[in-house]
Amino acid sequence: MSPVAAAFVLLGSFVSLLSGIGMLRFRTPYARFHAAGKASPIAFLLVAIGASLETGWAGRAEFLVVAVALVLTLPVAVHLLFRAVHRTEPVPIGRDDLATDTGKDHD
Amino acid sequence: MIASIALIIFGLTFVTAGIRAAIGPTLADRVVALDVGVVSIMSAVAVDAADTGSTRLVPVLAVMAIVGFTATVAASRFIEYEERAT
Repeated sequence: MSPVAAAFVLLGSFVSLLSGIGMLRFRTPYARFHAAGKASPIAFLLVAIGASLETGWAGRAEFLVVAVALVLTLPVAVHLLFRAVHRTEPVPIGRDDLATDTGKDHD
Repeated sequence: MIASIALIIFGLTFVTAGIRAAIGPTLADRVVALDVGVVSIMSAVAVDAADTGSTRLVPVLAVMAIVGFTATVAASRFIEYEERAT
């Protein structure tokens, strides 16, 4: 692999590890969904960029199709999950993670 | 060498997704954990494509993306309309 592709691939793997750790450490389900839904497509995008440097133009087109398919669909799916959880049994956002950022109290 | 490091790291992500799927209090946590597992497998396949330079496995990624999305949507609809179904 060319060093540039290797750099992209390693960066993507670290972002993916971050999403895994984020999913374990966050306390409220919303923060976990956020970590998983955001970081994992970005990790795949980075690896896809690294991989497309290696393959020819046909490979780049294929990776573009897969990247667009993933980036369009995964956030929508995680958003649906957010909505489903919020409508059935809304989780009280505690004092951590999101409450401090959004600035308003949810309890 | 680089590819094996990246594959090990994606394996770690898969393990964390498995742990969250095992622990996850709510059903939705488990669905998200499985989704992250699918994406980490997709990234591992992309690393293999980067390593070998062949696009033999790239259509697999497209199928996994769509199947992962459909599964998550189906699960979230189940969560949302569970009380009416039973």
